[in-house]
Amino acid sequence: MNRFRLLVFISFALSSALAQETIQLSIMIGSSSGIDFVRDAANEYMRLHPEVAIEVLEGPARTDDLLAIYEDYFNSQEGVDILTLDVIWPGDMGDFMLDLYQFEGFSEAANEHFEAIIANNTTLEGELLAIPWFTDAGLLYYRTDLLEKYGFSDPPETWQELQSMAQVIQDGERVAGNEEFWGFVFQGREYEGLTVDALEWIASNEGGTFISSEGEVTVANPEAAEVLELVASWVDSISPPGVVDFSEEESRSVWQSGNAAFMRNWPYAYSLGNADDSAIAGKFAVAPLPAGEEGASVAGLGGWGLGIPNYSAHPEEAAAFALYLSSKAQQKQRAIAGSFAPTYPELYQDEEVLAAVPFFADFRTIVEHAVPRPSAVTSPNYAAVSRAIYRAVHTILIKERDAAEGLEVLAADLEAITGFPRVQP
Amino acid sequence: MNKQTRKIIGEIFFYILIAIIAIYLIFPFYWALISALKTEGELIAAPATFFPKEITFRNFQAVFTNTAFLRGILNSFIVAGSTTLFSLMVGAFAGYALGKLRFRGRTPTLYTILAMTMFPAVAILSGLFQVIKAIQDIAWLNVPTLVLLILIYMVFTLPFTIWVLTSFFRGLPDSLLQAAQVDGATFLQTFWYILLPLTAPALVTTGLLAFIGAWNEYLFALTFTLQEPGSRTVPVAISQLGGRFAMQEPTGELMAAALIITVPLITLVLIFQNRIVDGLTAGAVKG
Amino acid sequence: MAVSTKAPKARQLSDLARQEERTAWWLLFPSLLLLFLIGIYPLAQVFYLSTTNKRFASSQPTEFIGFANYRDLLSMTVRELPVQLDEAGQPVIEDGKKQYESWVRVLPREPLRYRAAFEFGFFGKRYVIGAVNADFIKSVWDTIVFTVVAVALETLIGLIIALALSRKFFGRSVMRTAMLVPWAIITVVSSLIWEWMFKSNRSGFFNALFDRLGWGDGNTVFLVNPALQMPSIIAIDVWKTAPFMALLLLAGLATIPRELYEAAEVDGANKIRKFFSITLPLLLPTMAVALVFRTLDSLRVFDLFQVVFGERRYSMATFAQFTLVSNKDMGLSAAASVIIFIILFIFAIIYMRSLKVDA
Repeated sequence: MNRFRLLVFISFALSSALAQETIQLSIMIGSSSGIDFVRDAANEYMRLHPEVAIEVLEGPARTDDLLAIYEDYFNSQEGVDILTLDVIWPGDMGDFMLDLYQFEGFSEAANEHFEAIIANNTTLEGELLAIPWFTDAGLLYYRTDLLEKYGFSDPPETWQELQSMAQVIQDGERVAGNEEFWGFVFQGREYEGLTVDALEWIASNEGGTFISSEGEVTVANPEAAEVLELVASWVDSISPPGVVDFSEEESRSVWQSGNAAFMRNWPYAYSLGNADDSAIAGKFAVAPLPAGEEGASVAGLGGWGLGIPNYSAHPEEAAAFALYLSSKAQQKQRAIAGSFAPTYPELYQDEEVLAAVPFFADFRTIVEHAVPRPSAVTSPNYAAVSRAIYRAVHTILIKERDAAEGLEVLAADLEAITGFPRVQP
Repeated sequence: MNKQTRKIIGEIFFYILIAIIAIYLIFPFYWALISALKTEGELIAAPATFFPKEITFRNFQAVFTNTAFLRGILNSFIVAGSTTLFSLMVGAFAGYALGKLRFRGRTPTLYTILAMTMFPAVAILSGLFQVIKAIQDIAWLNVPTLVLLILIYMVFTLPFTIWVLTSFFRGLPDSLLQAAQVDGATFLQTFWYILLPLTAPALVTTGLLAFIGAWNEYLFALTFTLQEPGSRTVPVAISQLGGRFAMQEPTGELMAAALIITVPLITLVLIFQNRIVDGLTAGAVKG
Repeated sequence: MAVSTKAPKARQLSDLARQEERTAWWLLFPSLLLLFLIGIYPLAQVFYLSTTNKRFASSQPTEFIGFANYRDLLSMTVRELPVQLDEAGQPVIEDGKKQYESWVRVLPREPLRYRAAFEFGFFGKRYVIGAVNADFIKSVWDTIVFTVVAVALETLIGLIIALALSRKFFGRSVMRTAMLVPWAIITVVSSLIWEWMFKSNRSGFFNALFDRLGWGDGNTVFLVNPALQMPSIIAIDVWKTAPFMALLLLAGLATIPRELYEAAEVDGANKIRKFFSITLPLLLPTMAVALVFRTLDSLRVFDLFQVVFGERRYSMATFAQFTLVSNKDMGLSAAASVIIFIILFIFAIIYMRSLKVDA
């Protein structure tokens, strides 16, 4: 018994002595964020830096599950060393993330990324909490064949134009025998996606971004009410009644089965739409989202970044690896092989990238004009803010309340959550 | 209407009722099956087809080549199997004590055990996280994660097991006990040789229920196996079946995975049930 | 003398009783040890946290705030909604119904802001129940409705299945397999299967089926339409758990001695009388335990609501989860959990008393 205990002790001491020679780092990646690329990158990095051992853990595919895990880490001050962060998280997690500017190379790197994304990941005090890794922005998908068939030369530039074109095409296709056909699909379910869609509608109609970057509740305004009234009128006219229960995937399934003329979605639907068994392969294109009659097109900003939590035992080494993962070379590779949209404007002119993903050519201007959700200014309450937003907008879409009244309630909610003053524009 | 025709009509209604219930129970499984066999194009097409036009095994292939998923099946069998076995062992003792023995504090004990199940799992998650951390920090013990999962699941299956077994033990006639005592058998002997065989049907049933409970559990499994991919159970492995893109939901693969893990489970339960339940229900209850 | 002859016998008896008591505690020891070792700290912590303002994953210092969390969760008020009047001072009537003012102007805003949880009509007037945390009050109501309806239905269906399987009939083995199917599929996945079947257009099973049968327009939004949400989720739960009932009841049926039926047949009792005079009374203890656990489980329903409704409609447990994970309000979430605990306890006591399970 004693001898056995001793043996265990010796082997334990030995293994921990061995472990001390290398610096252990870990990172968790959702299976859909290109985990294989990260594994390859980690192996390459370990070859270049033999003193570092990196463990790549597979995290849950669902974003909410990943968030719950991170919160457990923060709570117990123990966990992986490099966090992959949704674009809306850095604000709320501010207390637990290190300022990346304290590490070597980040100031230079930050200048090369899209400004809007860096701004989104920066706190009011000027701390950079996440280095951009890949980006996402809302797009208008449209059916080139149907636009041609009904005599339209260009995709719509205003929401009103979209409505009338969608109506014409829908009526035509219904007469032609496709009873399942709808004009426009978007994301109308009560979830984060609706906050993004609503941001795009309202901001593109000069109705602001719910809460201004100065910290004022601006959402209750006539422009916002006007565009939400318009969208609510689409439900069960040019959009299916079920659109109020659509997330990205439900929209894509209607669109990809050839039953919609227009769709609002993220870039991921592009390559899936051109897959072999897609009914619309080669029959569609993307454009910037329409705008209100006075406003300009707005794309909601999405995407992911990399950050270092405050409990990491090796923050410097972790930061160096994060910098490597987010580097231009890495992003180029991920863009070519996995169509992850780069966060460097420069890569959108890269010939190899464009050859692999042609629509990136137009994507650069879209990302440049992308608008982030008010996650930085409302931290650490963004989750509650967003929930108030999508619930209020949903009550308008299902016509439980008219837009003006719904926004009135929302403004009061936002005041209560954030403590910001309300501003009449 | 004579008695014969009434009986026939009764039989017909009986079979119709059975058929409706059988369809209700099986249909979603059938729907998952055809959804897994459809191509993505057909899966999202409207109106839905009730039989796939073109059968593809791509979803099944994807799941079967996923080693994390296969590992998950093995882990789930280990965890759920051990949880069941230990819950039954420990729970049968407790059920016997609570159902047949007289002692002070019996009712409060029953209620306390029941009260353990009255919190939503999410509420005790973070507290449990700390307890588990504390156990893991005892380095020389080196408790494997799967064992920790078994311990946690037992906390959730035990109250139920104890309650069901208590009610079954109580239902057994006292005359048996008295006869055994007259013969000079100890409490344990009475328990082991007389009562336990009689409660076999209840043991099988509660065992099955405990097994499925542990097999289905997601929240704790997710939380406690994060740092150890090798210990993940099936529900966690399924939640990690992601699409190629963050927003893509691989519906077909999810359905295929659901079928793949359900079929062996049902087979297992069937073998188990036919062998044991049938054998026992015939002879066990003599009263 | 009389005393001395009695004393050893009494001692012998109490020795036996003491031995029995010791045995009982030894038998209970492993169960209690495990339950307390793993369970007691997390449970105690919930009570403690419910009186603090602790935030999850936050650096904000934690303070003791007494019962403020409970006040926030439970504050309710009832107000009458005034009739909407037009400029001429006449009630506004649309579709033949009087229109009422919105709750927004009626419910108090200071010091605590109330929101509408329910509206109802009573003697020609319209009232609104406002709550500081309307989501929680709604989740309590929804969960109780869900539990009562779902448990009643699954007991009924479970009983039918159990009775059917206890006799021999053609297709019994098929039925036995069918019974295991819903229950063997992992809840997270079966919720997804049903969500897929309830899709809002004809690519979902129910819309495709109803469309063929000529009901509805094939675009019914089952999971958003408030009138269809509860029936949909109850259908899923009954499907999933009726087999659980059936299996327990089947085991209960197996313990009923055949002789009782034979004796009743001699007395000329028909099937219905046999059911009510023998089967049901003898099945009651098993059914009571099954009911208690199904009810407690349903009141804690989590996976199902989480997958199917997300944040559209809460059960008590998903409310606690979202309060914790999205809002990071650990104190409030713990208080909600304690209230859930109390509600469950009340249900359990009612059962024990009325079904005499603990007798």
